[in-house]
Amino acid sequence: MMQQAAYVTAAIVFAVGIYGVVTHRNMIKICISLSVMESAVVMLFVSLAYRPGAQAPILEEEGVTYVDPLLHALSLTAIVIGAGVISVALALTVMVYRHYGTTDITVVFRGQR
Amino acid sequence: MKLRHLAGLALSVPTALGLGALLLSEAVVTSPPDGPAAHYLRNSIADSGAINVVTTVLLDYRAFDTLGEASVILASVAAISALFAGAAPDRSEQGLSILVKTSVGYLTAVFWIFPIYIVFHGHLSPGGGFQGGVSLAVLVILVYVVFGSRRASAWLTSSRLHVTESASAFGFLLLGTVGIAQGLAFLTNAAAGFPTGSTGNLLSGGVIPLLNLAIGIKVAAGLGSIYLDILSSDGSR
Amino acid sequence: MTPEVPYYMVLGLVVVCALGAVLIRGYITSIIVLSIFSITVTVSFAFLRAVDVAMAEAVIGAGLMTAVFVTAIGKTRRRS
Repeated sequence: MMQQAAYVTAAIVFAVGIYGVVTHRNMIKICISLSVMESAVVMLFVSLAYRPGAQAPILEEEGVTYVDPLLHALSLTAIVIGAGVISVALALTVMVYRHYGTTDITVVFRGQR
Repeated sequence: MKLRHLAGLALSVPTALGLGALLLSEAVVTSPPDGPAAHYLRNSIADSGAINVVTTVLLDYRAFDTLGEASVILASVAAISALFAGAAPDRSEQGLSILVKTSVGYLTAVFWIFPIYIVFHGHLSPGGGFQGGVSLAVLVILVYVVFGSRRASAWLTSSRLHVTESASAFGFLLLGTVGIAQGLAFLTNAAAGFPTGSTGNLLSGGVIPLLNLAIGIKVAAGLGSIYLDILSSDGSR
Repeated sequence: MTPEVPYYMVLGLVVVCALGAVLIRGYITSIIVLSIFSITVTVSFAFLRAVDVAMAEAVIGAGLMTAVFVTAIGKTRRRS
């Protein structure tokens, strides 16, 4: 039951991120929406790894079930890479502002200065 | 309501409904982890002596993936410093008041404790090189906010952080080649002669604490230099 | 049943904070709500026994990315 609620939440949060990416014209707002989408993916990974009644994957006692450590390692990687990617996006935003004087992405597409 | 709001709703509402229905139709897994995860859970202590299985997966079984991830961080650092190449660093910020500067100057030594603990206990408790490294990167940000770029840029420059990051990436590769020198695979842990120690102690896990240290320094320097590069760009006009 | 009700409340907060971070107009307000979103996601990870991921999300999402976002916003504003 906890897993299914987490699935639905991840789907809703991902859709909210897509809505933000599509509707916003400001590049910083698009970066925020991308960050929200990335968190939704990590939420899905973590809820896929969960088992009811399981322990955190730190082997301290015998005979208990543990949650899936492989998905945790993957989502850890995804979080750190996401931070790097969004930093690059923000740096590009700053460069666009330096060249065009705005962070409106439609101005950049039209090529006006 | 503009067209792009309609387009956003038309994209996001079916996504939410479809993704939610698709995920709900999946059977909820209640059995213990199987496949590679079961192997990792069963053999982690025997193979490397580390009890945190997430760290074992990251730095022993799938250490090559971690090297790829570290190279992604290196790529983003290189991209950002190439974007802002030639920008004169902004040295005008004076920082906060003398009270904050003095107290933070003494407290900085205390702030080192948490990242070091997180990095060196990565194979025993939650944490590891990534989390500790990012905590250290936050310390870089703290120094710049409190002391201002005028004082902090005298010694904590982005180019020094780049050198530190490259050196620790090189250290990671060097630790990996120990296995190759003995005819084993790249980044071999216990089989290449690294002592696994007694399980549960600080000195256990073979090469994992050393790799954690390399990753921690690399992530700290990389993300800290990303912040400094964005900070020192003269983007405002 | 007991640990599930707080978990559902946290999931509700996650959705509310995601909506707030995407829909709020002000930059700084949006960033702060994004930071709160990261914290609530961290709490939901802790409920799912993902301690390593929770720590990474707390440190990166609420600590580092907030500072990077605020710096980028400061760089894309006219100094008056």
